[in-house]
Amino acid sequence: MPDSMIPQDARDVTLGEYLAARGVSRRAFLKFACSLASLMALPPSVGTAMAEAMAKARRPSVLWFPFQECTGCTESITRSHTPTIEAMIFDMISLDYHETLMAAAGHQSEAAREQAMKENAGKYLLLIDGSVATGLEGAYSCIGGQTNLSWLTEAAKGAAAIVAVGTCASYGGIPKANPNPTGARAVSDIIKDKPIVNIPGCPPIPVVLTGVLAHFLTFGTLPELDPLGRPKAFFGETIHDRCYRRPFYDQGRFAKTFDDEGARNGWCLYELGCKGPVTYNSCATVKWNGGTSFPIQSGHGCLGCSEPDFWDKGSFYRPLSVGQWGNAATLGGAAAVGVALGAAAAYAARRRQDKIAKGD
Amino acid sequence: MDLLTFARGPGLFWAVTIFVIGVLWKLVGVVLLRAKPDLSVARKPSAWTGLRLILTRTWPRREFLQSTAYTEVLGYTFHIGFFVALAFYLPHILFFEDVFRGLIGVNFQGVFGVSWPYFSGGVIYFSGAVAFAALIALLIHRIASPVKRLISNFDDYFSWLVTIAPLATGMLAFSHVGAPYQTLIAVHLLSVELLLVWFPFGKLMHTFTVFLSRGTQGMQFERKGATL
Amino acid sequence: MSPADVNTEHPLELEAPRFSVKKPAVRHDKQGEVPDAERVKRAMQNFVKDFGRTAAIYMESCVHCGNCAEACHYYVTTGNPKYTPIWKIEPFKQAYKREYGPFAWFYRTLNLKSAVSVERLEEWQELIYDSCTVCGRCSLICPMGIDIASLVTLARHGMSKAGLVPHELWAVAERGEKEGSPLGATPKVFKERIEWLVDDYEVEIPLDKAQAEVMCAMSSIEIMKYPESIVATAKIMKHVGADWTFRLDGYEATNFGLLSGNAEWQREMSMKLINAAIACGAKTLILPECGHAYGALRWMGANVYGKPLPFRVLHIAEFLAEHVKSGRLKLNKIGKSVTFHDPCQISRRGGAIEAPREVLTALGVELREMEPGKGLNWCCGGGGGVVTIHRADPLRYRVFQLKMNQIDETGAELPVTSCSNCRQTFDDGQAHFKWDKTMNSLLEMVADNLEEEAA
Repeated sequence: MPDSMIPQDARDVTLGEYLAARGVSRRAFLKFACSLASLMALPPSVGTAMAEAMAKARRPSVLWFPFQECTGCTESITRSHTPTIEAMIFDMISLDYHETLMAAAGHQSEAAREQAMKENAGKYLLLIDGSVATGLEGAYSCIGGQTNLSWLTEAAKGAAAIVAVGTCASYGGIPKANPNPTGARAVSDIIKDKPIVNIPGCPPIPVVLTGVLAHFLTFGTLPELDPLGRPKAFFGETIHDRCYRRPFYDQGRFAKTFDDEGARNGWCLYELGCKGPVTYNSCATVKWNGGTSFPIQSGHGCLGCSEPDFWDKGSFYRPLSVGQWGNAATLGGAAAVGVALGAAAAYAARRRQDKIAKGD
Repeated sequence: MDLLTFARGPGLFWAVTIFVIGVLWKLVGVVLLRAKPDLSVARKPSAWTGLRLILTRTWPRREFLQSTAYTEVLGYTFHIGFFVALAFYLPHILFFEDVFRGLIGVNFQGVFGVSWPYFSGGVIYFSGAVAFAALIALLIHRIASPVKRLISNFDDYFSWLVTIAPLATGMLAFSHVGAPYQTLIAVHLLSVELLLVWFPFGKLMHTFTVFLSRGTQGMQFERKGATL
Repeated sequence: MSPADVNTEHPLELEAPRFSVKKPAVRHDKQGEVPDAERVKRAMQNFVKDFGRTAAIYMESCVHCGNCAEACHYYVTTGNPKYTPIWKIEPFKQAYKREYGPFAWFYRTLNLKSAVSVERLEEWQELIYDSCTVCGRCSLICPMGIDIASLVTLARHGMSKAGLVPHELWAVAERGEKEGSPLGATPKVFKERIEWLVDDYEVEIPLDKAQAEVMCAMSSIEIMKYPESIVATAKIMKHVGADWTFRLDGYEATNFGLLSGNAEWQREMSMKLINAAIACGAKTLILPECGHAYGALRWMGANVYGKPLPFRVLHIAEFLAEHVKSGRLKLNKIGKSVTFHDPCQISRRGGAIEAPREVLTALGVELREMEPGKGLNWCCGGGGGVVTIHRADPLRYRVFQLKMNQIDETGAELPVTSCSNCRQTFDDGQAHFKWDKTMNSLLEMVADNLEEEAA
């Protein structure tokens, strides 16, 4: 729910009071906190601690800057047909700037942003989605006449931490795909002196963002990250490791087309280009749309959308084991070169023999 | 560029290219050397039947079997295990079919009517493990046997290494052991690329020269009626 | 080079029953006073001259499996890995890769294989000569089908040009080149022998006929040691009614040019026979009981001549077999058990495996095969020039034990062969071990059992 719909004094309400006012029982909230904790592979006792901390938490100021993005991340995270607790928590953070959701526009929205930055200096959470355009000194992507690049460097100074939401912000995403005309870069390419969490995915799974926020609210720190800056709790395993079709991979049962017997039997989609083995995300366990399904379950291979440069790794339908060996022309050329070199070597050898025979 | 993208991209491209150039350079460079015709009167009407040596020399003669059994059995165990793991594992087959299709323009199934058969991962792993064990046993023999120790050189040991590496890294990748899968699979691909790059320059070329040398002896001996 | 060029540190025993060096010990024999660098240069040049497609294919294909050792009588009887057949040509292979193969440039620029040194060649002298009879068993065991034996023959060319041949072998070859026979069976001596054989045995031995259908050759070993072979040949020729002759301008079947590796001498020795056969218009040239003579002329002759030979070349055993089939050769039956020792160059390498057996069958013997037999039979250990190298005797005697065991195991009364060098090796081995069996000549056995025509 947009921030302006909440009465001014509601900003001083704790999360626990807020949820109670919405009819969420303490028991339900506790259950939610425990399930969140277990999802993040934290011990059960932490669930209770999390519930207590979150209940007492004041709403942190959050600024959400959209850069070169498609708004899919926002769509994913805010999509809910029934109000979920994630959605409510999301509402409960003091979302002081979000262009899509906020009612204000133009100069008023920019004034709100500057005020929030000043008032919460050093304490606000900066959420970025979309990549940062750096071409033409950033002119490819501007808001209110200012480049995203300058917004980012400005806002990062006062941020407690930065959350890069979606693959674009985490690694550059689709705008960065070859030939990268706008000079798109990841947030972590620009900002080097602040803690950054990457939550990749195109789009990311909603509960991942919630989990990171909950962790932050509870512990005041960001969760443990992998070498690519992703929370290990959600990005520690590959799709392949948790895929329900894995037994078929092991047995050697593969679908060959999207409509053959294998596909209809729900066999492994490796041959159809699934990048599950090299993609780290929680799609196979948490799934999408409240646990309804995920791409593989719906019959399409994983695109690897939470990995850097996933758009530039060849066709989505080219299996993982099929590398770029060249083509008939390059191999033909190589063959011609080989034959020529062999003939030259044989010629040189024959000449040598003749020279020796003459010298005798 | 991360390791896996390199291994699936320029690494593979250059490895395959160098492989093709090198193999042809070696083969053409040998086949175009001077060959004097044999002017003696042949005992047999046609020397071409001597090409059967290519098949018959596949297994030692009865008289030699006992003394060469160890090397022959282990050698074949390795070759067959390696071949099964290479040629009947779907991820590998997809690559070969892609090359086939890229070079000929038609699907494998389109040409042969049947799709390329494959075994489950477990069978392949077993086959690879057997090949691996055979290679270890062969290395031990190479070091322990006075004959082999004397005649072995860098080529023998390095070729052994680049052959066992894909087996070892393949098994590691398959079992997801030791590093993130991306790294394991990238290392496996790189080990294959190393094998391809080394191939034309060492004894791995016997893959092709075996036909030339057995064929040559077969034809030369057959025309004399000599023992094959 | 003359005998004077031979290194005088190791004087030759010219008068002794077996021509040898006075003190055979580990030595690296050299011919001529030539600086080492020059020796190596000559060796390399001549190696390169010999590299061709066939040799290249063979040398590219070796996978160092070591199986060849198991086929070699030298390795099998001593267990010494230096006798591994493919190891015997290692400097040859080294030179090939460095000087001639498709990647030779890399080998030289990156020094992947060092240049062959004179020390290496000296060290290899005993492997290329003393311990290889070019028997060819290794070629049959090799999984890659490499004809290792032929590579040894080629390697000897370079060694010979470099003056790195074992003394006695070089000396007999030189004698053969100068005098026409390695063992002193000069044309004059041959003629004299024929004359007293004619007298002693009352047999016709045509010599220097202007025209003849068949020209026969003889080996010096037979002329000097087993002159009954000459008589046997004459008897058989008469029996089958052949129009034949010996020729003083071409009678020596042995070819020590081939054995020592001197390609020019090999050619000259072969050309004597070829020219003589052409001169008398012979349709058939018959080679005597000698192994390498068969290889030299039947298979290498035309290539040395440069054109197809205008006559057939037969080993005497093949000639006999033909006449068994034609019915012209009528033989008495010998009711004894016999085992046949296959001379390597005639059977395994030459292809005439069945001919001697057809003759033995016609002789009505009980033929017992050795194990292994026929084309896989063990070498006597004296071929390829080895029997001339005195320092190699201890090795040769060890190998000979294989043959004695083989023959004893058949339980046959009579061992028979059709190569006089094998025969000589067996005689020497028999004396050394005081063995109870004497090797017989197939030719003489046939001559002794010709069915007499009714008067």
